[in-house]
Amino acid sequence: MDDIDAMFSDLLGEMDLLTQSLGVETLPPEPPSSSSREMNFSMGFADMNVESLNELEENDLDALMADLMADLNDTEEKLAAELGGKKEAEAPHPDLPPASHGLSFYPVPSLSTPTSPERGPNTFSAPLADSPAPIHSPPTLPQHAKPSKEEIEAQMKADKIKLALEKLKEAKVKKLVVKVVMHDGSSKTLMVDERQTVRDVLDNLFEKTHCDCNVDWSLSETNPELQLERGFEDHENLVDPLSAWTRDSENKVIFQERPDKYEVFKNPQNFYLWKKDKKTIKDMKDRDKELLVEENFCGTSIIVPDLEGVLYLREDGKKSWKQRLFLLRASGIYYVPKGKSKTSRDLVCFVQFDNVNVYYGKEFKNKYKAPTDFCFVLKHPQIQKESQYIKYLCCDDAWTMNLWVTGIRIAKYGKSLYENYKTSMKKAAVTTAWTNRTAATAATTSIPSTPSPTTKAKASGQANGHAPQPPAEPVAKVGNAPPPPPPLLPTQILPPPPPDPVLPPPPPPLATKRSPPATSVSRQLPSLPTLPTSFPPSPTSMANLPPPPPSLSQDDSSESPPDFLPPPPPTLGFGPGAGSLPPPPPVSLPPPPPPDPGFPLPPPPPDPAFCPVTNRGSLPAPPPRQSYIGAGAPPPPPPPPPASAGLQSTPSVRRTGPPPPKRTTPPLAAPGGGDFMSELAKAMAKKRGNQ
Amino acid sequence: MAAWDLSVTMEDLGADAPPITVSVTSDLHIGGVILKLVEKSQVKRDWSDHALWWEQKQQWLLRTAWTLEKCGIQADAGLIFMAQHKSLRLGLPNGLTLRLRACFSGPVFRTVLGICKMLNIRRPEELSLLRPVEEKKKKKDKDLSEEQYDLTEVPLISVSRPCLYNGMPAHFADSLKTEKVYKMLSVSQPAPAPEAIAKLYRPASVVDKAHIHSRWLDSSRSLMQQGVQENDRLWLRFKYYCFHDLEPKYDVVRLTQMYEQARWAILLEDIDCTEEEMLLFGAIQYHINKLSLSEPQTMTSSPAMDDLDSALQGLEVKLDGAESSPQDMLENLTAPELNDYLKIFRPKRLTLKGYKQYWFKFKDASISYYKSKEESLGEPIQQINLKGCEAAPDVNVAGQKFCIKLLIPAPEGMNEVYLRCEHEEQYSRWMAACRLASKGKSLADRLFQSEVQSIHSFLAMQQTNPNTHTDDSMSINTHSLVSPRYSKKYKVKQLTPRILEAYQNVAQLSLTDALLRFLQIWQALPDFGISFVVVRFKGSRKDEVLGIAPNRLIRIDLGVGDVVKTWRYNNMRQWNVNWDIRQVAIEFDGNVNMAFSCVTADCKIVHEFIGGYIFMSTRSREQSDTLNEELFHKLTGGHEAL
Repeated sequence: MDDIDAMFSDLLGEMDLLTQSLGVETLPPEPPSSSSREMNFSMGFADMNVESLNELEENDLDALMADLMADLNDTEEKLAAELGGKKEAEAPHPDLPPASHGLSFYPVPSLSTPTSPERGPNTFSAPLADSPAPIHSPPTLPQHAKPSKEEIEAQMKADKIKLALEKLKEAKVKKLVVKVVMHDGSSKTLMVDERQTVRDVLDNLFEKTHCDCNVDWSLSETNPELQLERGFEDHENLVDPLSAWTRDSENKVIFQERPDKYEVFKNPQNFYLWKKDKKTIKDMKDRDKELLVEENFCGTSIIVPDLEGVLYLREDGKKSWKQRLFLLRASGIYYVPKGKSKTSRDLVCFVQFDNVNVYYGKEFKNKYKAPTDFCFVLKHPQIQKESQYIKYLCCDDAWTMNLWVTGIRIAKYGKSLYENYKTSMKKAAVTTAWTNRTAATAATTSIPSTPSPTTKAKASGQANGHAPQPPAEPVAKVGNAPPPPPPLLPTQILPPPPPDPVLPPPPPPLATKRSPPATSVSRQLPSLPTLPTSFPPSPTSMANLPPPPPSLSQDDSSESPPDFLPPPPPTLGFGPGAGSLPPPPPVSLPPPPPPDPGFPLPPPPPDPAFCPVTNRGSLPAPPPRQSYIGAGAPPPPPPPPPASAGLQSTPSVRRTGPPPPKRTTPPLAAPGGGDFMSELAKAMAKKRGNQ
Repeated sequence: MAAWDLSVTMEDLGADAPPITVSVTSDLHIGGVILKLVEKSQVKRDWSDHALWWEQKQQWLLRTAWTLEKCGIQADAGLIFMAQHKSLRLGLPNGLTLRLRACFSGPVFRTVLGICKMLNIRRPEELSLLRPVEEKKKKKDKDLSEEQYDLTEVPLISVSRPCLYNGMPAHFADSLKTEKVYKMLSVSQPAPAPEAIAKLYRPASVVDKAHIHSRWLDSSRSLMQQGVQENDRLWLRFKYYCFHDLEPKYDVVRLTQMYEQARWAILLEDIDCTEEEMLLFGAIQYHINKLSLSEPQTMTSSPAMDDLDSALQGLEVKLDGAESSPQDMLENLTAPELNDYLKIFRPKRLTLKGYKQYWFKFKDASISYYKSKEESLGEPIQQINLKGCEAAPDVNVAGQKFCIKLLIPAPEGMNEVYLRCEHEEQYSRWMAACRLASKGKSLADRLFQSEVQSIHSFLAMQQTNPNTHTDDSMSINTHSLVSPRYSKKYKVKQLTPRILEAYQNVAQLSLTDALLRFLQIWQALPDFGISFVVVRFKGSRKDEVLGIAPNRLIRIDLGVGDVVKTWRYNNMRQWNVNWDIRQVAIEFDGNVNMAFSCVTADCKIVHEFIGGYIFMSTRSREQSDTLNEELFHKLTGGHEAL
């Protein structure tokens, strides 16, 4: 405890210094806010821990930073919501989690403490359990007392407690840095938390890439050792399957289009009427297809296509493949024993789907002497190596294999599959509509007026701290401009500095880089060459044409600065968390980018940052301005960010370098928690060198 | 116009009473006849439900404005003046019989509407009446139980009151007797004795099943017209297997009866399923039985009250939670553990090592073991994370063997581990912990105690020897949960652990969810919803089976049982019935034509099935709740409808 206290006071001291240096006296950091800051630091720290930074490509680093920022912002925002009293409870503990088991999972330290009642303790990774808990409890109680004194209302208290619990929960969330291999062979690194579904991650990727967001896009995992591949379902949690990978795993996560993903909804007749003659199937009218889907997926019960056929089964432990007549039912795969009939009562259960997933096998002809290469496999997701518990089946042709794999997915996932499809469809439809619109607007409005909207739209925000939201339509988000901003901020912040002054050169790369941070907007405007343009026209801007004014107004309101500020502290936080001192700010402080833009004056920002509590809503505003400014926009908005931004901006500047996505290292490299600060410093140095 | 004498028997005067003769002219309308009749009988009572039934022609004279001439009635017509609503013994899907008053004069479709309204079953078009299978056994004792449920005294007018009273439709709340009826309707029945199941009629083949479908009454004609007499017994069943708009909140009776019908279809092997499916059905039945016994109260409170209650409860919990959260948090810090000496055995190739004893600690979904209790503070010999594992019982109560077989997934495959417990008590706790852990839950979970409890009661079930009958309502003979085929195949002690295993996956379901789950699995069976009729296709010389499903017709080879061909209603252009030669002809898209004559059932039944399913598919959620009766008759009526 002493250590922690000491660290806290150190931190506070640092913060004070920082504020003073910024010249902002207005709002001396209140104790509560400081605590919140601390929390952020620790979180950021933990996250960073995951991968040794040196390993990462620059662009990876950028992306990560963006994620991190978003993350921090998130938490900040949440904290802001809270009243001062609570905060201490969550005060993070710098204690670092031991190297993760197998994977690069690092429970955020602060998380470990109290298990929120709602969550079963088991949800968290085991390592955390013991040490942190005791530490935490004491702080919680005192804080508890404080608020009660200050505010008598019991309701307030209850609310606060609830909030605190929520935060604790939040803090406990497992996070994973995942390297996703893109379809072109490049890779992107992003942070995924425990609660995010594949759908959330896809949305995130949509924003970071310029793909068309059609329903076929999916994340898949490959297992080179077993030569398996499986597309994740949109409703699955991504972290779960990934945590089954072994430490030295060569497995990869791939972002690609998989036409088989929702084929059953596009051409249901191929699955449900497969026995019919080819012509009927081919001539199926759209209306009939819809009916078929409705019939099988919209009733009280999902109907599984009734598949039956002779497949080859790889005998346990033997090299031979034996033919058997298999049938698919909702309850599992069955086979007909020798000399028996196909009636239900005689069927023997081959496998049920509760504990297994279905995978495509690759080149089993070579590997296992399979009769054909059209094989699929059923296994427990945790099995990663050759085992007698893996069931190998082989089909005569690709079509049969597809039929079976899809049938099994329907049996296993049922209605979720259809829900996923509907969600994807909505998403795709909205995006296309939006893209068109955006393109138009972009042409007209050269100035990326309102950044704030962008913020809201940000998926990255979701990706990190926020509970996975069901993929809301971007449009909808646009509609309600103010709310979501916080998450975005970090990302936004990053992009602005580099763009204009510092690095004019590679417009395309910038665009791409930025695109990750930028929300859905960025997707649509992949081609934007110039920096200014590169800013995705914020959704809001689109909605209401006079974008610039709003942003300004927002800026005026003191709110905006706070958002901006928050990000820097996290960076600082790294230092302390790692055990290294707060100095990070100076180190990383290459503030050149911000100044360049020609911001009039940086001072104001600090205050808000310190008291993020005040207003989260307006957060998004600041970043956009910067961008404007850079573009040559009017300077009116007091650029609060400069000082604080300095830290953040640095990374971003470096990023500017063209993003060479060369490496495809295993996504989850889990180096132990090295000294984060030094690693960060190295990485930055490296980048600079590159520049 | 000349007056003549018309003699009419008044049923209410008794069978022996002489007919009453009234003097009428041919232009007197039916209403006038009734008026004269009533005046002459000098009986003062409410005659509003009465009407004239023309015995020889087997038809009702319901149009009171028609004249005798128009009806074609002459002096020789034997008319009977009787009530349109008569008492009927209705066999419900749950196997019990309910006496109630049903309409004998309207088309059966209308009669079913009335019955369903009285029973509070929505979507009555999905149900119909059929003649029961003759029961050969003497049923003295049965008659007694049948009389328990009687709704004949409920005034018909009160049925139309939509309001709820004490959570049940107002007309059930009139007396204790009717309340009991409602409970019978809305709560699933306890498991029947295995012997009782074995005694009931079970269709042994597709042809047997086809014969059952020949018993459906004609929806477009009245009960009287179909020879149904007062106090006859008819079955009420779901006939069309497309259940529209199932809403547990409003459909308590409907849901329960649907479940009962499904349950009996499975127990009586009316629909085939695999062994695994049967075990799951058994497990859900067990669960539903248990819940129905333990929470009958919930059924009697009104939905509105439920809402309020739950809202209040939610509020309490919220406040509670808010206030006690620090405590909770503290409690969670000290998550419950299990600590015990257990024996472990890990089968490996070529090793015959037996069980070895260690000190085991269960915490946070994983098991650690140590050499001894004293060393439990140090590093465990091994720690096993149970998340995602399979935990199966390996128990022999008689032999005092209480083992837990764990299949633990690891990157290299599944590791098999056996834990041996000393006694039942210990076993129940550790097994429950393993089960929860496999689903990623901890001991802190609320489910832990109930899990322990259910393992206990299952063990007890294995223990019961036939001599001592325990009154513990929780212990059920598992043979009563599966069809006779499986009762024969497995002994209770073999069956019980397997049902317990399946039970793990459903133990957390609420009553409603359990009912729904049962129905879902039932509906997912490949043979679900197929009604069979033996037919002869045009141009074919042998009998074949026509399966009528909600979305398609299936031609099935009678000998082998293989599906020969399917036609979907979507592609159907039109269908015609030639009532003279009793042949059904159907045309599909692409000039596909088929025709068949019906062997086991009247072609009206087949016609009605097809038309009925097409009618069902016209219903949609957007439409108002009113039933388009006219359309139904148009689709199913045949020439009689016109």
